[in-house]
Amino acid sequence: MGSTMHLAISLNIAATDGQDVLDFGQISAFVRKTEAAGVDMVIISDSADKPSSSPFEATTLLAALATVTDKIGLVAGASTLAHQPYNLARRFASLDIISHGRIGWNATTAQNPREAANFSRPEGFSDDDFRRRAREFIDIVRLLWIGWEHDALLFDKASGRFHDPDKMHPADFTGEFFSVRGPLNVARSPQDVPVLVMSGLAGTELDFASRRADVVLLDKLEPSGARATCDEIKRRAHEAGRDPVTIKVLAMADAGPEHDGRGLEDLCLSSGCDGIVLTVQPRAAALEALVERLLPDLKRHGFAKAKPGKTLRDRLGLSEDSKP
Amino acid sequence: MSARQMKLGLFLWATGHHIAAWRHPDAHVTAGIDIDHYIALAQTAEAAKFDMVFCEDAAGLREANVNIASQTSRSIGFEPISLLSALAAQTERIGLVSTASTSYNEPYGLARMFASLDNLSGGRAGWNLVTSASPIEAANFGATGLRPHADRYARAREFATVIIGLWNRRAAGHDGESFSVRDPLDIPPSPQGAPVMVQAGASDDGKDLAARTADVVFSAAQTFEDAKAFYDDLKGRLAAYGRQPDDVKIMPGVAPIVAATKAEAQAKYDALQELIPDDVGVALLSSYLSISDLGRYPIDGQLPELPESEGMKSRQALVIEQARRDGLSIRELARYFAGARGHWRVVGTAEQIADELQARFEGGAADGFNVMPSWFPGELDAFATLVVPELQRRGLFRRDYEGRTLREHLGLKRPI
Ligand SMILES: Cc1cc2nc3c(=O)[nH]c(=O)nc-3n(C[C@H](O)[C@H](O)[C@H](O)COP(=O)(O)O)c2cc1C
Repeated sequence: MGSTMHLAISLNIAATDGQDVLDFGQISAFVRKTEAAGVDMVIISDSADKPSSSPFEATTLLAALATVTDKIGLVAGASTLAHQPYNLARRFASLDIISHGRIGWNATTAQNPREAANFSRPEGFSDDDFRRRAREFIDIVRLLWIGWEHDALLFDKASGRFHDPDKMHPADFTGEFFSVRGPLNVARSPQDVPVLVMSGLAGTELDFASRRADVVLLDKLEPSGARATCDEIKRRAHEAGRDPVTIKVLAMADAGPEHDGRGLEDLCLSSGCDGIVLTVQPRAAALEALVERLLPDLKRHGFAKAKPGKTLRDRLGLSEDSKP
Repeated sequence: MSARQMKLGLFLWATGHHIAAWRHPDAHVTAGIDIDHYIALAQTAEAAKFDMVFCEDAAGLREANVNIASQTSRSIGFEPISLLSALAAQTERIGLVSTASTSYNEPYGLARMFASLDNLSGGRAGWNLVTSASPIEAANFGATGLRPHADRYARAREFATVIIGLWNRRAAGHDGESFSVRDPLDIPPSPQGAPVMVQAGASDDGKDLAARTADVVFSAAQTFEDAKAFYDDLKGRLAAYGRQPDDVKIMPGVAPIVAATKAEAQAKYDALQELIPDDVGVALLSSYLSISDLGRYPIDGQLPELPESEGMKSRQALVIEQARRDGLSIRELARYFAGARGHWRVVGTAEQIADELQARFEGGAADGFNVMPSWFPGELDAFATLVVPELQRRGLFRRDYEGRTLREHLGLKRPI
């Protein structure tokens, strides 16, 4: 098994205090510097319990970032409450095409009361309903992403066939919460399915994540707790018939001054995780400190060495042909 | 103050507006999976000083019959808000307008998306409100089918009220028939205050909603008389909402085919028409007439009597009127219609096209035009390099941007 230690950065643009809001120039400059430093992916989220003052929503920001970067993976958080599966599947498939296969979806699995109140669901869902609905949502999105076969588009001007009608498949999904006919009106994307990231998991979601997720982010745990959870995820993935190397578990850590390259290397090795995710505050000074101080130190300790690959899946070692 | 000048939008659609555009030898056939193609188109339009690029949208396939659909390039493309967010980073001045449905979105979510696009672009975003008339879209959002026209518009009115309230930071808290929203919008305003509101409905409900809430109205009109009647009708509705005629810009669609001589332009048009398969033309016509079985009528006969549509009432009426007026057979009508979906088609030299545009602009039938190139990139390039300079020479169109935001380009007030 390869022992690449992956390195991701998590930037919650909604966590601003309104004093020091990042503009697009600052965010794109930061992402480009992390790209140059070999970071595997940046995870952008924009949802918070409190109102934010960020000028951006995560998926739109991702589209703009995709045009000014060319290697780094780009992941956006989007909740199953604030979107419809058809719309969200279109959005991420489009982003994957725009970025030439560098996109991931961080599917938030916890119900945010603020979203419920603003998305015409004042009463919210029971925890159990919310979970079942979220699973159904994620399954539909995946189904929509693979509705077009790889070679469905013919572009044959002479015969007049743009695509092969037999290679376009509706989803025809009828479930407990959603009914979606499909197919998607977006082509098969370069990664087939954008990378599915899940985080903030407990109990039953851990099981679902073990079956479905490509990347699991572990909340700031002690190395021993991280080790147990990481082993548990890999075990359940194996039970579900997956090769455990196709699910990457990353331990989250704060990018603050209390951490250095050695400590984070220890965290990664002792937890048995596939890498780490650094959470950084959306403030100019914090971004600068990360780029100037921590990234070079992490590089010295063996992080950020993954081969870029063509897609984010390649880079994370998730695609079939990139398995060792 | 300088003389009144026309507004120009670039209407993007797949490989071009002509249904057979993708079969043109020089058409960029992979448009639907090529972001660089769209960046190039937007940059061309920006270099020509267009006010905006505009993306249509449907949350589903355009055509249910897979055999027909597979002979067009319209079944795949980019989700437009993602597309325009990408273009925001690759352009500086041009407006970025996307369609989005009030039937399959929530106002808080859409308010965030467009506010974000507005900030990414420094105040260049606009939203084309549509209620979505297609049962194909409806089936992607539940099992209950397309809702009746009046219900869709009731929801759209509430949607517009909520989203305008959110963008303009009016007191929060909405608890209505279709939506409830507790908090103010959590995304700050862009330099233009709020995204530009665009609409293209032409039914009575549609026109009333536009008169109440739109900054820009797109329309489809064949003749000068139709365009003028629509223009006067819509502007006439504004006073009831306390608005001035100039508060709304009316921009009918125009599908130009331009060349150095009229004969050359006509030859270009004829060659494109030859590329339309009959079944595709008839199917497209059927979808705008909201009937499913036009194919069982003799193709060289006349249109049958049709019940009034629950879908696009306005476009159905326009098609039927044209068929009766010109005595067209189904085949002729289908071919004609496939060229620009009922929009105004002009074929000629730059001077002739400028004459036509000028006549509608100065005759009180348009404030500008939504330009619909037949295929990309060729017909956009032709319009940008031949027609735009002619309009500039006549003082009818800007030589450079004066403002930074879409509202400034369009001469619209900031929202209050
Ligand atoms: C220029 C133009 C562009 C339009 N774009 C769209 C579109 O992208 N998606 C859509 O569903 N309808 C589109 N429409 C249709 C109308 O917005 C409207 O929904 C339709 O005409 C039905 O409303 P009505 O019955 O009020 O006319 C467009 C119409 C025009 C004139």
